[in-house]
Parts: sequence; structure tokens; C-alpha cells
Amino acid sequence: MINNISRRELLRILSAAGFGTVFATRTVADEVGKKGVKSAPSGWESVRKPIPVTPRDRYPATIVGGKIIQPQRPLPVIAETDVLVVGGGCAGFAAAVSAARAGVKTTIVERYGYFGGLWSGGLVLVVISTHAREKDETIQVLRGIGGELLDRHKKVQNAITDSKYNPTTDPEATKYFMDEMITESGATVLLHSWASDVVMDGNAVCGVVFESKSGRQAILAKVIVDATGDGDIFAAAGAEFEQWLHAIGLVHRRGNVDRADMDKLKAAGIKSLGGGKEPVPSVRWINMRGPMGNALDVKELTRLEMEHRRTLWQGIQQVRKTPGGENVFLLQTAPQLGVRVSRVLAGTHKLTGDEARVGTKFPDTVGVGGAQTAKHVGWPIPYGALLPKKLDGLLAAGRCICVDEKLIEDMRLIAPCLTTGHAAGAAAAVAVQSKCRPRDVDIKKVQKLLKDQGAHLG
Amino acid sequence: MINNISRRQLLRVLSVAGFGTVLAARTVADETGKKAAASPEGSGWASVRKPIPATPRDRYPATLVGGKVIQPERPLPVIQETDVLVVGGGPAGFAAAVSAARAGVKTMIVERYGYFGGLWTGGIVLIVLDTHINVKTDSTQVMRGIGGELLDRHWKIPGTIAYRPNTKHNPTTDPEATKYFMDEMIAESGATVLLHSWATDVVMDGNAVRGVVFESKAGRQAILAKVVVDATGDGDIFAAGGAEFEQWLHAIGLVHRRGNVDRADLGKLKMKSLGALEPLPSVNWVNLRGPMSDGLNVKELTRLEMEHRRSIWQATQKLRGTPGGENVFLLQTAPQLGVRVTRMLAGTHKLTGDEVRAGKKFSDIVGIGGGGKGWPIPYGTLLPKKLDGLLAAGRCISTDEKLIENMRLIAPCLVTGHAAGAAAAVAVQSKCQPRNVDIKKVQKLLKDQGAYLG
Amino acid sequence: MSENTKFPVWARRIGRWLALAAAVALGLSPQTAVWFPSLSPHIALGGALAAKTASVVTLVGLPVLVLVLIWPRWFCHHACPTGFLQDLFSRRKAAEWRRWPPIGKWLLVITLGGAALGYPVFLWLDPLAIFNGFLNAAWHKPVTLAAGALLPVVLVFNFFLPKVWCQRICPLGAMQELLALARRHKRTPVPVPHQKRLARRAFIGVCAGAAGAVLVQKASGRTAPPLRPPGALPEADFTGACVRCGNCGAVCPSQVIHQDLKSVAGLLAPVLRYDKDYCRENCNRCGQACPSGAIARLPLAEKEARLIGVAKIDLDACALANGEECTACIRSCPFEALVVVENAEHTGSEPRLIQGRCNGCGACESVCPVWPKVAIRVAPLPGQS
Repeated sequence: MINNISRRELLRILSAAGFGTVFATRTVADEVGKKGVKSAPSGWESVRKPIPVTPRDRYPATIVGGKIIQPQRPLPVIAETDVLVVGGGCAGFAAAVSAARAGVKTTIVERYGYFGGLWSGGLVLVVISTHAREKDETIQVLRGIGGELLDRHKKVQNAITDSKYNPTTDPEATKYFMDEMITESGATVLLHSWASDVVMDGNAVCGVVFESKSGRQAILAKVIVDATGDGDIFAAAGAEFEQWLHAIGLVHRRGNVDRADMDKLKAAGIKSLGGGKEPVPSVRWINMRGPMGNALDVKELTRLEMEHRRTLWQGIQQVRKTPGGENVFLLQTAPQLGVRVSRVLAGTHKLTGDEARVGTKFPDTVGVGGAQTAKHVGWPIPYGALLPKKLDGLLAAGRCICVDEKLIEDMRLIAPCLTTGHAAGAAAAVAVQSKCRPRDVDIKKVQKLLKDQGAHLG
Repeated sequence: MINNISRRQLLRVLSVAGFGTVLAARTVADETGKKAAASPEGSGWASVRKPIPATPRDRYPATLVGGKVIQPERPLPVIQETDVLVVGGGPAGFAAAVSAARAGVKTMIVERYGYFGGLWTGGIVLIVLDTHINVKTDSTQVMRGIGGELLDRHWKIPGTIAYRPNTKHNPTTDPEATKYFMDEMIAESGATVLLHSWATDVVMDGNAVRGVVFESKAGRQAILAKVVVDATGDGDIFAAGGAEFEQWLHAIGLVHRRGNVDRADLGKLKMKSLGALEPLPSVNWVNLRGPMSDGLNVKELTRLEMEHRRSIWQATQKLRGTPGGENVFLLQTAPQLGVRVTRMLAGTHKLTGDEVRAGKKFSDIVGIGGGGKGWPIPYGTLLPKKLDGLLAAGRCISTDEKLIENMRLIAPCLVTGHAAGAAAAVAVQSKCQPRNVDIKKVQKLLKDQGAYLG
Repeated sequence: MSENTKFPVWARRIGRWLALAAAVALGLSPQTAVWFPSLSPHIALGGALAAKTASVVTLVGLPVLVLVLIWPRWFCHHACPTGFLQDLFSRRKAAEWRRWPPIGKWLLVITLGGAALGYPVFLWLDPLAIFNGFLNAAWHKPVTLAAGALLPVVLVFNFFLPKVWCQRICPLGAMQELLALARRHKRTPVPVPHQKRLARRAFIGVCAGAAGAVLVQKASGRTAPPLRPPGALPEADFTGACVRCGNCGAVCPSQVIHQDLKSVAGLLAPVLRYDKDYCRENCNRCGQACPSGAIARLPLAEKEARLIGVAKIDLDACALANGEECTACIRSCPFEALVVVENAEHTGSEPRLIQGRCNGCGACESVCPVWPKVAIRVAPLPGQS
């Protein structure tokens, strides 16, 4: 019927003459208002905007004679740096802060979006082996970068438990303080970047290839610190190593544990909600041992991740269905699977449990590992445990350094990882400053730098 | 299923999960570990750790050639050949994998993180917006099929899902429950899963994508497939395959959660709430808009991640320092940064806001987006203009600017994922390219799987 | 009434059936529905008086006016579809209708008195408005259901009290009788006391109507007026000019026009409700369909610029402002009057209205997922009453 307006033109004109006058003023005002506004911003331009497509080299793999062949290709180098730390867990964090504070150009690449690795992302919140017995007194052996990190926690309420040793931290506080210290140190950071390969120059590693949302890119460096935990970088570069199966678990946190009725739960057979106390009120973290698995087999990781999640889910549902436990809930499963040990470097010095048990001292000591219960002596860590037997341009840090079976369970803890990370970062900085290979550094200079940075060398 | 667990089983579950065991194990490490020096056979560690021969891994390191970094030609190990390969385990990828696997074709799904759900669970964007249409009158759920079933599973377990007060649409879920139910549905569907695997490149065969190259702790490997569903959100796979696309900047934020919100004194704080409601008691989630940025630029992602964490930390500290807010704490920052939009496919049909407004009907409709009066999603939006062997799903399908904010929501991603999975399965079964499928068959499969097509 | 005998009964019957058919056809055809109710001189006169303006539509009532001047109650006997339906459904032929007071005359004078002050109080009791309302309700439900209920009510009333409605209540019938009275006075002078009584009654009626109109308007002026269709007269004039025929609701493609059941002055007049849909930007049908001019007939561009109301955002309720990724209202607005802005704390987004772009079409309100109290609703313009 709107189409027939023309047929009623007369009507329209007449009625407009009759009724239209009433609105004349408002109509004019409206139209002015509308015109004035046509050019106004829509608000979206501050939220979203189309841009030209980011150029990205395409070298797709193709099928050649039934085989999948990835063609030869140049890789864009996005940075050249002095020290490149791969992995932002405890060891990588300490290495990057140490090297950057020593004044060399430092870059740290991390797969996830935060620092701390299994400490924060794996929710392994307790920092074990911070202390050791020395001359009949218990002293803190985790000092330097790691000690400073714990001290920052202590300045904020509910960020860390006030235990004498082996404190538990709030993972969000830990992430934040790590961000803070890395930023202050001046190190360049690349998060969300997965290091996948190395750039070789003869027998030396001179760079790392990594994948990110920006594509496959390379960073060149004078010294690389492998703090991947799994030794991905030294393995890709051809260093010698051992490989281990180890129990792989998945940590979770339970919320509202203080709102549970423990008497009722106990009556129903649940003696405890388990887990360790956190500095955060009403939350507990709960460790899981899990079965032994190969952390370098992605199918195994996939299987365990899903199995563990099912176990945790069923466990929490049972608690929630039990009288007294209705308010408890599954707060969070760890974003990272709890891989304990995979590759272990074959270094120039293999630190043994026997050496550690008696606190054997080394001329090239670069740190001291603590005792889990703080009642035993600390174990000095020699520089040789970080150095690959033959490969140059690289230092290992963290759980994958060269130790024997008896020391594996100690080496993989947070405090020793912070300590060896600090050592590797300092040694890398000295190597860059001395323009030499890591294996040729003057160890005295490294030890001096470490002491200057507050580390405890026994 | 849970009901059937016996008391003994429960104790077993609890102790497996229990801290006690590990503490015990640790004291064992400390004490018997030392003794083990004397008698290594009885150490008990044999069930915990064991040395094995190194897993063989091809080494083709890049080298410096005349100052340039050159990655050499190399063969790639193919770990699997499958019918449908879904890349990305967010809402879209999840629905695609379940749909294809249920349709009876061999299906595989590859996810970068260790869980499904993408930004829903890992990004803590907990509210499933746009599940319904006409919510004020004859409210109808349009997000059905795989996505609808997923929500239904939540509804069976109290405390895992909730509507806002007085509403019956757009529920909020517990992210851990969502992860678990996604695991469950994927496992039941029979799809093969690879978590912790980052898809980085494609295998091309002429103009068609024939597979995907991905990185994991097992190294660089390839999977071959007849049809690949790109559910990466960023269109990483179609971009690597050479498809045409648009690129957008969009606001990038970081979600966090606050705990003990029920112990805050909102009156003293002069705040109306501490965040958005969750089905979990005493927890709220807090969204963050963040500045506009390029989600494909890793340096931007790095900068924003750290800036956002700082602002969240400082805001929480301020809250905790304010009378009434002392008991509130920062429970969790999201493991994944909240990237909203990056690449948008140039599909054979670009769905426009004007088409939706005009109520245009499509014969190749494969789903309906919710919100308002709803909007039809034609199959052409999932199909690249020229590239074969691939379907897009999720936020990166072909829509114009006016629909971007709709398309990136969880419910429409579940819907397009379901559509892409069904279409991929039909293409495999019909032995044809996705662009040549009989759309009637796809629609029938979707309807059989419970999807709502109007 | 003597004229009735001039025609055979069967001829009159056929005539009435034809009139009923014509009324149905006229009322249903969108082309004629516009002026169909105005065939009643009661509506034409009352509407024009209330709106204080006359249009072509008003003139439609003139021929009928002339006819009833010549033959009193001609309309009742030959044309009125409502009356004919009552005859068809009546139980008994005769009744005690004569014992009823002439309510219709009072209704008429009160209506005209009110109309003089802008509110024709009982205009909606006109038989053509009732019939037209029923047609619209029957064919375009559920928009005008309330108006459509009037005809059944009248029929049931008539079933138990035959002829009372037509003879004693119907204002159009009363109008015809008054006009006949006036004509008789010219021929045979009426005694002065009777004249005085008549004049006094008319005066009281008009005053009562005027007082009623003022009261009603005052009462409704205290509360915010509801949203009226685009191009509606100012509230006070609108409630008067609207004859409650239901045409606007019947033609509305998005069915956002409902019957006003809340306000006194505007009882049964059209109001906009945006809970399901909104006032379409490419439509001006309600104005085209309005017989009385209560809704102006505006060209599309002008209608689009006309303000119905203005959107108001409740940020406390808004999902986007509370951190959810909802942009339903922003993306729905046909005029891009809603924009997304960063909140003061730089932590989130919130919608903001650009004044001057919004014409109150309600697209935002219709899609807002917050429920039951929407976070964005179109409020009447300030000072509209």
C-alpha cells in the first residue's frame, strides 16, 4: 500500500497542510541534528579497524613422490641479541634477569603467556629446598634473583605463606612479580612463542627458530640458555642427553575449602580435603603424582591430560555430593601438565647424588641447592653441570642440567631451578662480555657476578 | 556414572589426587632416597621414573648462509592420515570434531593448549551469549546440536551452569566443567585428539590443503587429511594455505577471576558488584576490554599480556586495600589472552549485516546465530573463495564488519563449528571437495544431529 | 421512521446485507480502512473538533450527515453494520428499552464538550469505530484484541437487553436524534421551558465533558506519556484525535503497536511496545492508515527523522558495561546512534547514545538480552505531554 502513495498525493498534501504545521519546528530541528551527526565517530574505530594483511612468507610443505617435503626457505630474523633465554619458567626467569642486570642485551622467549612455568602455570606452588643446614644452623641457600623474588612476595599480604622455609606462593602474585623483575631488568620479552628449532653455525648454536602468531621467525644470539625444562634446544642442536620417563600429573585447586563442614565430611569418610595451604584464603592446591609417562610423546601428553582431568572431576563431584562438602568446588586445573623429568643433559660434569649428599664443594660452584626438609646440608652445583659436553653457544638451566638419577628429584624443584637459572644467566653474560664461548669463561668472574647479584655460593 | 563410584574407589581417587601421597613421596625421597645409595634396587622409584633410549627425532637445524638464516629442505614425518582434521579446539573446533566423528568419518582434532574450549575456558570468557532469539517473547534456543548438547550436560550437574537471575538464555558456565564435558563428548565421539600441539603450516597438493604441519614436544610432524577445518580463530591455516582474507585490529583484553566476593562489603566499597556472576559460589569473573591491537603480532601480544597483568594486579591490590574489599583476592588471570578478531576469511559468500537486517533467506543455511531475531548462516561463509580442501569455522568466517561482534561469540562459534564438521564429513563421504557437497545432505545431517536450521 | 414502510421487508434485508458486506470490504481493504470509520459523522466531527483541524478524511462524513438530516436514523436503519449484527443476534423482538434514559445523548454532549478541549471522551463508542476495531482484531491479531472485544460485548449486551444499545446508548444514534430534533424545531416551535431545559442539558453535558477532559488530561499529565506511533500529535491532542479504530496496529509490519490499557486519557489508543520488534526504518504505514489524523501521514524520510522517543541506557543493568561481551543494541541500531566507548576506568566497554541520531525506533530495546528489565529502553521525549 505504500507503493500507492502517488494515488493519494492529494490526500497527503491536504493532510500535511492540516497536521504538518504542528511539527514544522521539530522536524527541522531533527534534520539538522541528524545531518550534524552523520560524520560523528561510531565508537568502533577505537575497538576494531581493518588493516592491510600482514605480509607473511609462504613455504607450505608439498607432497613429492608420496613424501611430505618442507622446502628450503629463508627465515626472517626479528632480533639479534647477546643472550637468548628459551623458556620462562623458574630457571629461564632467573637467567634473563641476571644477564640483563649484568648489562648485556637479553631476550627471553616463553611458550605461554606468563612466566613461572610449572610454578605458576603448573600450580606447583610450594618452593621446596630454599634452605639447608650449614654449620649447625639453617640458612637460606636460595638467594640472588630467586631470593629477591620471594622477598617481593613477602611485602604483599597473602602473596606467600610465612613458613620458615619452603614457602607457598600465590601463583598470580608470582606471575606478576616475575613480570615486574623482568621488565625492570630491561630484558626483551616474547611470550606466546614456541621455540621449535635452532640455527647452527658449525658446532655452535647461534639462534633459535620459534613459532608464534607472527609465523616462523628466528632470533640470533651469542649465547643461548636452554631453560625449556625438556632440553628442546640442546636436543635440536645435537647435544648428548639422557631421556627419562617420569610420573606426569595435573595439579588442581579447590575453592571454598573453609566453607566445608569437616565434621560432616569426616563422618562420611572424607578425612581431609587434601592439599597444601595457600597464602590465598579459602583455597588449597592439590598435587597429583600420576603414572609414569614420556613427556616427549605428544600422544601420551594428550592422553594423560584428559585422563587426569576426568579423575579430578570425578573426585570433586564426589566431595560436592557428600554432606558438608557442597560448597567446595574445583577452582582450576593447571593450564600446564605436570611434567617432571624428560631430557637430562650430558654435561661436562655430572653431579651425582653421592657428591650432593655430603655437600662436596667444587672450584666452579655457581650455586647451592637446598635440602627438602632444611635439615640436611646443601649441595653445591658446579658450572660443568650446565655445560654441554661438546655443543657450543649454549648453557642449560633448570631441571634438565646434568645430574645423576639420585639427584633428579632434587634438581627438578623450584628453588634449585631458580639457582641454576641465575648461574646460567650470569655465565652467559660473562661469556658475552669476555667475547668467548661459555666453556671458556673465567669462572671467577662468573662467581663474582653471582655474588654481586646476591647469590649464595656456600 | 559418578554415583556408582564406591567408597573405596573414592578413597583411591582422592589419594591419587591427594597431596598427602606426594608429601609422603617427598619424605621418601629425602630419607629413603639417601638410603637408596646403599640399595638402589628397592628404592621404589622404578614405578616413578625410568631412563629410556632417546626418542629419535630428525634434526634439520637452520644454518647461517651468507648472513641469512636458511632452513633446509626436509621431509616431514606423517604421524597420521585421517578423513577430517580439525585444527583448534575452541568452541568451533570442538563442535566440528564431534559432528564429523559422529557422522562416522575418521576425525582428528589438534589443539595448542592442554584443554578444549579455547577462549571460553582458557580465556575465561564464561558467558555463552546469543544462544536464543526473541528472548522477551517466544524465546527459542537456536544454538542446538552439539553446542546445545554440551550445555545440556552442564545442566545435569548442579553448580556448573547458571542463567542470570530471571533469564532463561545466555548461560554462564564453570570453565572446568566445560573443559571436562568437552573432553567427555570428544572422547565419546571417537575423534582422535592431539593436545599441546601447535599447527604452524600446511601441506599443499596443488590448490588444495592436504594436511597440516604442527609443532609439539615430539617435534615437527605432519597429519594428512581429506578435509581440514580451520578452527584456529585466527585463520592460521587458511592463511598458510594461501586463501584470501581481511585482517583486523580489535581490542585485546585479559580476563581474570576474583575469589571470596561473597565476603566483600559492597556497601563499604561503594560498588554494585565485583564482576560477572559465575555458577561457582563466591567467584566472579571480570572482563577487560583492552586497547585495539594486532592479534597476529607476537610483540603486541607480549606487551599486552604484561600490561594487562599489571593493571589487574594493581586493581586487585587497590581493592584489597579498600575497606570492605580486604577478603577479596585475585583467583586467576586467564591462561589465554583475549584476542577478539584478527583474520576474516574472504568466503564465497560474505554475510552482511544488511542481509540480516532485511531478513534474507538462504537455501544453503547451515545454522542460525542467536540474539535479537537471529541471523541465518549460509554455507558460503565457511568456504574459501578458491582454496580447496578446507572449511573455516568460528570467528574467522566470512562476514562483514556489522556482524563481527556477533560472529565472535561462543554460541555462533559452536554453531558454525558444527556446520563445518558436518559439511566436512559429507564431503569425505561423497568423495568431493567441500565446495561441491550436496547442501541438502549437509542440512539433513545437521538436523539429524539436532541442529536448528529455522 | 415512517420511511421504513416504503420498502418491502426483503428489499430492506438485502440492503442491510449489502451494507454489511460493504462495511467489511471497506474496513478490510487497506485502501479504504483509512477513511471508513470517518463515514460516521460522529467520528468526523468529534475527531476534527478534538484535533482542531479538518482534513479530507473529515469530509467523508459529510454525505452521511446530509442523509441523516433528511431521514433521521437513516444510518441506523440502512447502513450501520454494528446495529445490523445486533438485530441478527437478538433474542427477542421487543423489550423495555424505552424505560432507559437517553444515555447516548449525554455521551454525545460530553464527548463534544471534551472534544472542544482536545479530548473527545467517548468517541471510541462510535459503532463504526467498534466495528472497524473488531475487523482489525479479527484479521490482525493480537494487536487490537482489546478494541476487538467491544463488538462482542455490545452484542452480548443486546442479546439480553434488545435495542437498548442502539436506541439509548449509541452516541451516533443520539447524534442523529438530536439533528432530527433540530430540524423539527424549525418546523414546529418547541415550548420555551422545553427549549431552556434542552439548552441547560446541553450546557451541563458540554461542561461535564470539558471538565472530564481537563481531569483526564491532568491525571495523565502527571505520569509520563507512553510512546505513540511516529508522527503522532502531541499527547494531549493525540488522545483526543485518535478514534481507536486499530488501523495503525493492523498495518504495522512489525506489530509493535499495541492497545494502551494503562493511561486514562489514552485508553485503547495505540502505544508502542518494543519487547519483540521495533518501528521499522523503512515504513510509515501507521500514518498512512490513520483515519483521523492523530498520526500524521509523513513521507518516509520525514518519518525517519521524527522522534518517537529517545533511548535511555541503564548502565547498572547493561551486560556490556558489566563485562560481558554483549553488543546486541549497538549492532542492532539502524541509525548507528549507539556507539561503544571505553569506560572511565579503562577496563571495559559500555554503550553510549549519540544524541540526535536516535529517533526512538526501539531496535536496541527489542534485542536487549537483559531481562526482565531491559538495560536500554526508549523513553518518551521530555515535555511531550
